[in-house]
Formats: sequence, C-alpha cells, structure tokens
Amino acid sequence: MKKLTQREKLFNFGISLLALGAFPLIWFLSQAILFRELTEIVSRNVLVVIGIIVGSSFVFLLFNGMERLIRLAPRERRDSLEARMFAGPSLFMIGLFLFYPAIRTIYLSFKDRYGKSFNGVENYSWAFSDTEMLVTIRNQIVWLVFVVFFTLLIGLIVGWLSDRLNKGEAFFKSIVFMPMAISAVGATAIFKFIYEYRPPPLTQIGIINGIRVSSGEKCSNNRIIEGVLNDYADPSCNRAIGWLQQRDLSNLQIGETLESGGWLSNLLVNFPLNTVLLLVIMIWAYTGFAAVVFSAGIKAIPADIMEAGQIDGASEIRIFLSIVIPYIKSTIIVVGTYMVVTVLKAFDIIYVSTRGDLETNLLAVKMLDEFSKYRNIGRSSTVAVIIFVCVIPIIVGNALREKESNSL
Amino acid sequence: MKKRSIFGLLLILSMIAAACGGGSLEGEEVFITGALVGNDAAGFQENFDSFTEETGIIVSFQGSDNFEQEVQIQMESGDTPDIALWPQPGAVVDAAQRGYLVSLEDLGVDMDEYRASFSSYIVGLGEVDGAHYGGAHAFNLKSIVWYQPAEFEARGYSIPSTWDEMIALADQIVADGMTPFCFGMYSNGASGWLATDWMEDIMLRTGEGTATYDKWVSHDIPFNDPVVKNAATFLSQIMHTEGYVVGGTDAIVSTYFGNAQDPMFEKDANGNPGCFMHRQASFITSFWPEAAQAGAGSETTVFPFPAMDDGLPKAALGAGDMFGVFNDRDATIEVVNYMLSNDFFEAAAQRPDNSRIYGHVDFDTSLYSKDITRVLADTITGALAENAFRFDASDLMPPEVGAGSFWKEMMNLAVEGPGYIDTALNNIETSWP
Repeated sequence: MKKLTQREKLFNFGISLLALGAFPLIWFLSQAILFRELTEIVSRNVLVVIGIIVGSSFVFLLFNGMERLIRLAPRERRDSLEARMFAGPSLFMIGLFLFYPAIRTIYLSFKDRYGKSFNGVENYSWAFSDTEMLVTIRNQIVWLVFVVFFTLLIGLIVGWLSDRLNKGEAFFKSIVFMPMAISAVGATAIFKFIYEYRPPPLTQIGIINGIRVSSGEKCSNNRIIEGVLNDYADPSCNRAIGWLQQRDLSNLQIGETLESGGWLSNLLVNFPLNTVLLLVIMIWAYTGFAAVVFSAGIKAIPADIMEAGQIDGASEIRIFLSIVIPYIKSTIIVVGTYMVVTVLKAFDIIYVSTRGDLETNLLAVKMLDEFSKYRNIGRSSTVAVIIFVCVIPIIVGNALREKESNSL
Repeated sequence: MKKRSIFGLLLILSMIAAACGGGSLEGEEVFITGALVGNDAAGFQENFDSFTEETGIIVSFQGSDNFEQEVQIQMESGDTPDIALWPQPGAVVDAAQRGYLVSLEDLGVDMDEYRASFSSYIVGLGEVDGAHYGGAHAFNLKSIVWYQPAEFEARGYSIPSTWDEMIALADQIVADGMTPFCFGMYSNGASGWLATDWMEDIMLRTGEGTATYDKWVSHDIPFNDPVVKNAATFLSQIMHTEGYVVGGTDAIVSTYFGNAQDPMFEKDANGNPGCFMHRQASFITSFWPEAAQAGAGSETTVFPFPAMDDGLPKAALGAGDMFGVFNDRDATIEVVNYMLSNDFFEAAAQRPDNSRIYGHVDFDTSLYSKDITRVLADTITGALAENAFRFDASDLMPPEVGAGSFWKEMMNLAVEGPGYIDTALNNIETSWP
C-alpha cells in the first residue's frame, strides 16, 4: 500500500469528519427544528405530505453534496470515502439513539427522583441496601444460576440423545423446540394455569392443585363431619396452595419437617419457591433452542473421532465427556452467553405473572416500577445502569475470546 | 427551487386555514388520554357526543392499560395530550409538582362552584402550593360489605350495624360450621391493597374519625401511632381469627382479589355458601361470574361498613379518577368546564354496562341504568355533600408508602399473624420519605 502524505491524511480526515458528523448533524437538526415548528401550525395531513417531500429531498441533497466533496479527492481514495459516506449517517443515528441514551441514563442515575438536582451516590447506596432491591438482586442471581445451568444441561442431554436416535429425530427435536415458538407472555399464561389457585369451595382449575386436592384423603376442612368441626388446619389432607405466592417452603409438608439450624436447612427453609417456579417457565422456553444448537454442533463432530473412541472401548458417558463436550465447547459458551444476557433482560415472564409481588421481582421489572410506580427517575436509571454493568463483562469476555480465536 | 415554492405555498395555505378557525372553536380537537378501556372508555367518549354537536369541538379519548407509564414518557418528551385522566389524584399532584400542568384557577374555572359541586375535600386533593390542578371525575365506594339477603334470612342472621355485631355474627357463622368472610388480597403488582382499604375504613371509624384520618394521610401522626396500631389490631382480628376467612389465613395472600368473592356464589357439600360477607369496593361486580352479575343489587347486595364508635359521624371511603390539564387553549377550557358540569356523565350513566359513578353532587342519579349503581351513587353524593367522603389513603400517600411498603407490609402481616403488627407499622414508618 502506498504511504499517505500528510496532506492526504488531513484531507481524508476532514472528509470523514464531514461525512460522519457534520452533514448528518445538519441534516438531523434542521429537520428536527423545522418539523417541531411546523407541527404547531400545520394540520396533520399536510404535515405528512411535507414530511415525505422534505425528508426525501434532504437525503438526496445530503448524499449529493457529499458526493461532490468526494469527487475532489484523488481517485484511489474515493472508494473508501464513499464507504464512509454511506456508513456515516447510520453511525450517527446509532450514536444518537443508543450511545446518547446510555450516557444520559448514567448521568441521571446520580440525580434525585425528579432528575433535577444531583444527590451523589445516594441512589447506588439505596440499590445495595434497600431490602426490596436486595431481594431483587438475589432473584436475579438465582435466575442466572438456575436458568443458564439447566438450559445448558438439559439442552446438551436432549441434543446428545436425539443424535443417538435411529428414527424420528426431527420429530423429537421439533417437539422440544416447540416452546421457542411461543412468546414468553404466552408461555407464562400457560404456566399460570398450571399454578392457578382458587379459594375453596371452588373447584381447583390449576393442574398441580387439582392433583393435590383429588389425591390422598378427601379434604374435609371447615366442615362438620359427625358433629365435629374440622378447621382449615386439618393436617390429614393436602390443601390447595397458591404456588406463585409461596416465598418459602413453610406451607409444604417438606417445609414443616425442616428445622432451622444448619446452613443447609436454613437455605432450604428460605428456598424461594415462587421465584424458582417462575424461572422454570424460562428453562422450558429456551431448552429447545439450546438443544437444537447443540445438536448441530454434535453433528459436526467427525465420525472417525467418535469411532476411534468406541474402538478404544470408551463408554457413552466417557465419549460424551471427553469428545463431545470439548469439541462443542465454543458452542456451549456462545449459548451460555446468550442465555446470560437473556436472563439479565428477563422481563415479560414476571411482568405478566406476579408483577414482582411477594419477592419475585427482577431488575428489568424493578427498573420500570421505579419509573412509573414510584415515579423516581434517579433510582430507575440506577437500576438500568446496574443491568448495563452486569452485561459489560460478558460482552468484553466475548470480544476477547473472539480476538483470541482470530489470532490462533 | 420549484420544490421550495410548493413548500412555501403549502405553509401559507395552512396558516390561512389556521387563522380562519380563530373565531369559533368549530373543528378544534381536544385529545384526552386515560386508563379507561373497553366499555368504560366507550362510555366516556359517548359523554362528549352532545358536547361536540353543540360546540363543534372534537373530543377524542384514547384509553390504555399502560396509561400511567405512557403519560410519564409523554410528559418527559413534551408530547402530552390536552387532558389526562389519572386513576388517582396522587399522580395529578406529582405531575403538577413537576410543572407539567395548568392550574384550574389559570383556566378560569369557577372554584366556588367547583367546591360546591364536588366538596372542598375532593378539590383539596389536587392542590399544590395553593393552586388546584385536579379535576374531579368518577368515584367508587369502598365502605361497603357485600352479602346475600336470602342466605342471611334463611339462617336468621341480621345485618350488623356495629363492629361488635359483625364479630358476633362472624362467631355465630363459625359456630354454625360455616365461614363468615371472603378475603383475598393478591393482585399482580399491587398485592395488599385490599388490606390497606380495610385499615382505612377502620381508621375512619376509630380515634377522631376523619380528623385522625387526614393527619394519618399527611403524616402528621406517625405510622406507628397507637391509633394506627389499634386499627391494625382490628384488621388482624378478621384476618387471623381461626375459621373467619375462606381457606384459612394462608389463602388471604394467595387468593386473587377478583376471585375472592366467588365462594359466596358457590355452595359446598352441605348447601352452604363458601362465605357470607365480603368487604370490597363497588367495582368488584365486574369481576363476578356472569351469572352472579345479573343479581347485583338484588340477590347480592351491600350493607354499609359497620360503625365502630358511636360518637363519630358516618364516613364513606372511596377512590376515583382525577384529570389534569396540560394547556390553556380555548377549546381545552371549554372541555374542562363541561367535564365539571352536572350533565357531563349523562350518556355514560345510561349505558346498560356502566358501573362507574360520577362524583358531581347535583348529578341526577336516577339516570344510572343499574339499581346497585344508583344506591351506591346516592351514598357517595350524600357523603360528598356532607364532606364526609374520604379518599383512599394509600393513593394519597407518597408512592414509596402507598404503593410500596404499606401494601407489602400488609401482605407480611397477613402471613405472619398478629405478633407482626408492631414490626409492620415500624417498617412502614421508616420507609416514609
């Protein structure tokens, strides 16, 4: 490649600056100001017509003007400059709608509830001391650990087993993949029916409560039987339980036998049952996705390696652990990364089921609660920044890994 | 060059059109948003039909389930509707404090007339720094207990007029092998509000009645004051007495408030209803099973929440909507004045599906299509006229308390039992900003 002279470098830089910054800025601001004024005076229909005419002619003028500028450059530079010309406006738009809000959110996280005056790190000390916030962070960690681990584990097992099938692999895989086709809101609606609770004497329409109530001894709670009134605490029968309202195991029979004392039983007594029941929805929805990706990875393993393993007398489990897993390691990491980011953004399941009540909240819903329910812009921004900070290590890790594999 | 001249021509033409419309308000548009959806939204829109015919002002209402979030974003971005109808006055006050609203005084509303038609208490709810920002609209009644007269008669029970009578009746029902109360306070994202309603009703009837109630709302007495503790103890009596509540104490937090009354309409194996009394606001009828809805006001009707202290005058608890105004255009002012007049709600009241109650004391309640609505409306307007109507306290407290710790601690109280009262009240007190 020919070395650039100082003058050429400066020229390139100038045109890049014009293409990436000045032109889009003029283009954007002039239209923003123009239409801001016009909306006040012109009726909506006229505005639409003006928008189409002015908007398209501005784009035409913008590119036409830059084209003319680029013609001044030496012939061999034109290609790269033209590329910049076309990338410039989109980069500008990304900056405007992605980087600017991100930076402004960080800025707002140091301000008070109205977003007006600074209050230092008060929002952050609130985020890590407020009991509700601590519960939300705990839930987020529980979700991360359980959802990512079980999605990967079940996905691997299903992917591996379906590969071993002689017949009907496609059918089997499409059944496992099916939940992926249902939206999270739909999946949550399905599971809400599974966990549904109705007060007695109504018929239990939830599957779990239906099975509980109809199995075992017939419930005789709060009825007079042979002259004796049985109250609701009758231990001899399985009561219906509001599953999404159970913050611990105390209403289950296992919970009653547990003594609080050792750390293990303490952990079990405080087992957040409703949170775990909710995260099951996400595992159910995403396992199919993981299984299909893993299955594709397993298919790509050369048959001779597997055969070599089998000839050497390795068991299925040994082959799985020593050949399959190392071979699809990068696939596992990619799926894992995707799942971590998805869980951090998890919103819809909680939003349509409990809406964060009874210690089931997640950060994304908490962010919205702080904004609209408690009307606190500073705290809401703080929660957003916390989510953002949690995602950064994953993005950086991914970028580093990519660099590593590129350099190899 | 050619393009520019077309653009200029359009601009001039449209300016002429705008200038021509200056004299009358014919064709002016006023945009209202709110949380009403479905039939309620249709009814609200219908109220403006005669108004549009008369004045030519086109009023359009847009309701949304996510109204409160949307209007927040619209205020931040400066793209507001002309009028917003909030489901609670606290949000109006908040918007006014942020400087987004125009006060009713600046709009030229006759404040004396407004006070006379909605009571000075209601007008005061929308007050910020001496100016009033909230326009009253529809209200619901919360100080009521639903029951089925036929079931009461068949067993010789009479309607309790005092708290002690209600407890005696409850004990009688338990002794007869049945359950007195339906009680469910689960509500997605708002669990616990039913218990806060109970607390408010009890607060209105104990201590110094409305006087302590107002102090409690404005935090002039602390949340762990003996008066409040006393109220919580009464509530705990209902929640935690063995056999009082359908499904037992555990069921209180698990039962969705909309399903809570269903046991009353269901007979158990012995032919008894699942429960006999349900204290819930007037809007609960729309959550009932369809078959039961037809009997609202006859088969299933209400008695007033019992009195607790003979020395106190009767009081009614309720909640409702309030609107805030974002600009002072002439057309907007016309609409605001119409929305505060006594014939505003006529069209909606006559709809067969309407169960909303307009708060204007001079509104002709005989217009309501349903019997039960008429009865409730008379109670509300009667209480408003005597200035004995009080607004849901949790809607008036700061959102950290009213939509946060108060709800949450009531849920904990239901689970933990009477021993938790002090902890609950102390926790709420510390959370007050």
